[in-house]
Amino acid sequence: MTGNEQLAAPDRAEEHAVFSARGVSKVYPGTTALRDVDFDVLAGRVNVLIGENGAGKSTLMKILAGIERPTAGRLSFEGQPYDVASPREAMALGIGIVHQELNLFPNLSVAQNLFVGRERRGIGGTLRRGEQRRIARDVFERMGQPIDVDALVSELSIGRQQIVEIARVLVSDVRILILDEPTSSLSEDEVAVLFRLLSELRQQGVAIVYISHRLEELIEIGDTFTVLRDGALIETGWRDQVDIPWLVERMVGSRVEGPYRQVPADHRPDPDAATVLAVENLQLPDAVGGRLLDDVSFRVTQGEIVGFYGLMGAGRTELFETLIGLRRASAGRVTVAGRELAVGDDVATRIAAGLALVPEDRQRLGLVQSQSVARNIALTHLKHYTRVTGLDFGAMKNDVQRMIDELLIKVSDPDVLVSALSGGNQQKAVVGKNLLTEPKVLLLDEPTRGIDIKARRELFEIMDRLARQGLTILYASSDLNEITGGADRVLVMAEGRITADLRRAELTEDALVGSAQVQRLEKDRLA
Amino acid sequence: MNAQMLTGNSGLRRPSLSSIPLLLLRFRAYLALIVLVVLFAATSPAFLTVRNLIIVAEQVAVFAILGVGMTFVILGAGIDLSVGSVAGLAAMVAGGLISQGLRIPFFDVAIFSNVAITCVITLAVGTAVGVVNGVFITRLRVTPFIQTLGMLYVARGAAQLISDGATYGDLTGQTSLGNTGFLILGNGRFLGLPYAIWIMIGLAAIATWVMRRTVFGMQVYALGGNERAAELSGVRTDRVKIYTYAISGFCAALAGLIIAARLGAANPAIGTTYELNAIAVVVLGGASLFGGLGTIGGTIIGAFVLGVLSNGMVLLGVSDFWQTVITGAVIIFAVVIDQLQRRAEKAAAVRSAARQQHVGTDTPAS
Amino acid sequence: MNNKFSFKRVTLALMTGLCLSLAWCGAAAAADFDPGKHLIAVITPSHSNPFYKTEADTAVAAARKMGYKTSSLVHQGDPDVQLKMIQNAIADNASAIVLDNAGSDASVAAVRRARDAGIPVYLIDREINANGVANAQIVSNNFQCASSVAQHFAKTAGYKGKWVELFGKSSDTNAHVRSQGFHSVMDDIPTMKMVAQQSANWDQTEGYNVMQSIIQAHSDIAGVLAGNDTMALGAAAALKNAGMSNVPVMGIDGNPDVVDQIASGGNIRATGLQQASVMARMAVQQIDGLLRTGKTDKPEKQSVNCVLVTEKNADQVLPGGFGMKKK
Repeated sequence: MTGNEQLAAPDRAEEHAVFSARGVSKVYPGTTALRDVDFDVLAGRVNVLIGENGAGKSTLMKILAGIERPTAGRLSFEGQPYDVASPREAMALGIGIVHQELNLFPNLSVAQNLFVGRERRGIGGTLRRGEQRRIARDVFERMGQPIDVDALVSELSIGRQQIVEIARVLVSDVRILILDEPTSSLSEDEVAVLFRLLSELRQQGVAIVYISHRLEELIEIGDTFTVLRDGALIETGWRDQVDIPWLVERMVGSRVEGPYRQVPADHRPDPDAATVLAVENLQLPDAVGGRLLDDVSFRVTQGEIVGFYGLMGAGRTELFETLIGLRRASAGRVTVAGRELAVGDDVATRIAAGLALVPEDRQRLGLVQSQSVARNIALTHLKHYTRVTGLDFGAMKNDVQRMIDELLIKVSDPDVLVSALSGGNQQKAVVGKNLLTEPKVLLLDEPTRGIDIKARRELFEIMDRLARQGLTILYASSDLNEITGGADRVLVMAEGRITADLRRAELTEDALVGSAQVQRLEKDRLA
Repeated sequence: MNAQMLTGNSGLRRPSLSSIPLLLLRFRAYLALIVLVVLFAATSPAFLTVRNLIIVAEQVAVFAILGVGMTFVILGAGIDLSVGSVAGLAAMVAGGLISQGLRIPFFDVAIFSNVAITCVITLAVGTAVGVVNGVFITRLRVTPFIQTLGMLYVARGAAQLISDGATYGDLTGQTSLGNTGFLILGNGRFLGLPYAIWIMIGLAAIATWVMRRTVFGMQVYALGGNERAAELSGVRTDRVKIYTYAISGFCAALAGLIIAARLGAANPAIGTTYELNAIAVVVLGGASLFGGLGTIGGTIIGAFVLGVLSNGMVLLGVSDFWQTVITGAVIIFAVVIDQLQRRAEKAAAVRSAARQQHVGTDTPAS
Repeated sequence: MNNKFSFKRVTLALMTGLCLSLAWCGAAAAADFDPGKHLIAVITPSHSNPFYKTEADTAVAAARKMGYKTSSLVHQGDPDVQLKMIQNAIADNASAIVLDNAGSDASVAAVRRARDAGIPVYLIDREINANGVANAQIVSNNFQCASSVAQHFAKTAGYKGKWVELFGKSSDTNAHVRSQGFHSVMDDIPTMKMVAQQSANWDQTEGYNVMQSIIQAHSDIAGVLAGNDTMALGAAAALKNAGMSNVPVMGIDGNPDVVDQIASGGNIRATGLQQASVMARMAVQQIDGLLRTGKTDKPEKQSVNCVLVTEKNADQVLPGGFGMKKK
């Protein structure tokens, strides 16, 4: 933000590449993550790395950070061949990585977290707590972040935890700072703080590698832009030649425009369609006497696609988890296709009743990583293959193949481990296994999280097709484009309540954002 | 293209099958067994005789049966430390029913059941203990380690309570009571093989079928791989877990019956520390203690590795202390090899994928 | 006369020749027996316990001296393991087994298996609850042992005061027999009263813990009778730590540590020494006789009395314990 103006027209010949990769390839079982890629990390620059999911960004960064080794290619660091076997060695060279997922120790204090693995040692291996806390305080001061170094990490907000994660890297002298989707869980304000920090680091000559899906952000902060697609390098451009259409074109391969679904603005599903899901006065208490869901009521008709918009913590995930039976409501009624569900149902009963959930965290909740794609997809539907002689693997294989074809899951063989797939394809596998139960209502919680534009589009096309076939779809998203471009109707949530019910024609950013905030303002006023 | 076709045709994608060292690693349990057999056959003339091999198989049976039950639990990412005690409890229940009958309080009569019913009751008791373990673990959220550790003591104490610590010395039964025949389970033979071996074979076959060909088996693997994902997929994880502990309890009781029948006596100390043998057997068979990885076949092989090792060392006259050391070292070594195999398999898969890429694209990398 | 004489001479010569040849034949038969072709398997509960170690070592040494092959196995007191070891001995074509068994009831089937395989079993130290299965049961006379210790105990205590009994593992017959031995003496002395009877499962640590608790309730006891020396050692340590080093403790077995305490004036004043080495040697000698002649003249049940060890004869005990030096 600040300082970018001075760097607007760089003299490319004078740039100094701290790290460079030439002809790098990386092959995993089932996928080729990188194919003959060249990449330079320039000192004092924000080097943006962009691409769809599975394009190879994370793999390239893992190679840079010493977590993975390339299958082929040359790497050099400050002109010397770069051959490190562990993140520890990379760290010693001044290469620090902040992962997309938080890797903190919630049971330790902020200061302790900063020094895990490189504790300041005194005589006989004793810990120099005082020194650690002093350095930690210095780091946060430099970052402009007033974080109590003695607080437990578990007590901090997610945004703060992300700051701590970055601070961990900054504790040692860092030459290259890699940020993998650092803003995915940050608020506006926290993003602004982060960007200020990055500008400062850039001026100190630190090379920053920045990976994100948020194009607006990238344009704002980036100096160079390297686009990867399907593991191959597409193009590297400088900030003066790059804008969002330029990035999108190279990421997707062809220009895409318009909303996610091609439906007329006045489109509404059949007005006579039956109500498939009715939720009345649903209440969900939290652990400290508050309410995660407060008197939630709504109806959805067959074939409708309903978006749930809201800020983080608005209660969308909790609503979906309550519907599927992961959480138990304290009051309220849920009716699916005219049949009221018992409050104490477990997940299996709810699935049998016609509900299915694609969870937000597919690694943790969606997939069994140690098993094959086929096993994962078939897991929901096993009872259908039971024969007297045991499971009918033929029928199972047919169903799995049907899902793979229908959802365009890119996999060479259904028996490949699911962990070998890219994020987007893993997500499709999760959708596939939930479709196999032939649900009446499909719940998707942030279905596009960590998924590239092309896969997003494909996902919405699939949703559209399924809805036309009579499936009712509820999805939660924090992305305004996805909400305005994908839903027939939007329910806005804030503070565990539904604050607005907007038809497609009524969807404006103002209305959405306004409804999402309204409770918060009231609360502020009350406070 | 060729490479792609080859792997495509093989159905299961096992690109590493072409690599011989890896093949050796994958079948290491069998290899270890073969090596041990060859080694002992060469050094001890008594080893490779039909009589000795039957003895080995009979000795292995108890640990294999305990191991099969333990495999279910471990595949579901649990652990069952109570199996040794449950085996002891089962032996005492069977012993009590045969020697003293079922005493009815206040009436001063005892009911004697025939041997089949005695066995059914005993197996039911073992299964019930497993169910209790499962219910406490799932419903009351006691960690499996603590729950089954507690049950280890409870079941052992219960075994001692049945007879006030005494041994039931004669399980022959009495013709007048119609409860004879229990000892056949320990001494009887079919086609020249003791019943214990047939029971082991039958149990292993059924368990393999269950794990590979039934919904329950798939669900156990899913549960061990990712419990939350399994739950969200509609797997009734609590129920599946309870079943795994119930199976473990059943197998433990079966082992207890066999031990008691072989000894012709029921002693409350039967099966002490056998839970550790059962775990060792499962681990030797290549299962992961984190769940989701492992097979029944592996466990049976693991049991034979331990059995052959112990029999062979006795025949060779290796001192008791060294036997203990060597057994422990073999278990650790097995796990080390297991890790090596996983790493090598990953590397081989990567290499094979790299070859495919070269063939598949016009411009080879590097 | 001549004829007669010559007849006599011929007869004599024939007789002498016959005798000689008979003797030669006998010598030949003995020479044909090669102990090196026979394996004697010695199975004891453990090699870490000095008593069982003495048994095993004595038996092995005696058999080796006679030229036999030996194997020395342990069953850890677990009847299932014991069965395995017997099976292994069968597989190894053992000619005889010396066994200190793992439980009087639970061992019957195992011994029977060996007999069914044609292998004679000589039990030492403890008996089993079946007759005619083992070739011999050479056991310590536990009753005699316990009563002789109890007599010495009563005398030491001056025939008055409160006493405590530490009981062995209740599943073990010996625990009961020894207790009966104690009580056969003590119950006849009205001035002595047993104030506590607790099991310490033959175990030293348990003996310590149980004794500690008993001291809390009875600080004025006149002495402790322990079912074995290991428990006696635990109890003695507890008493010593409680400052009660004048309270006498007496055990059974003849453990070398206990013998040291007796000699040096510790809490332990006496023990009934079980002659493990004698029993083991007897078993091997009888096996040797059986293998050479094919028959045995000894009864199945044989008992070996134990020796009361006090500070007077403590120096007569073998260095490894469980046996007396030959006079």
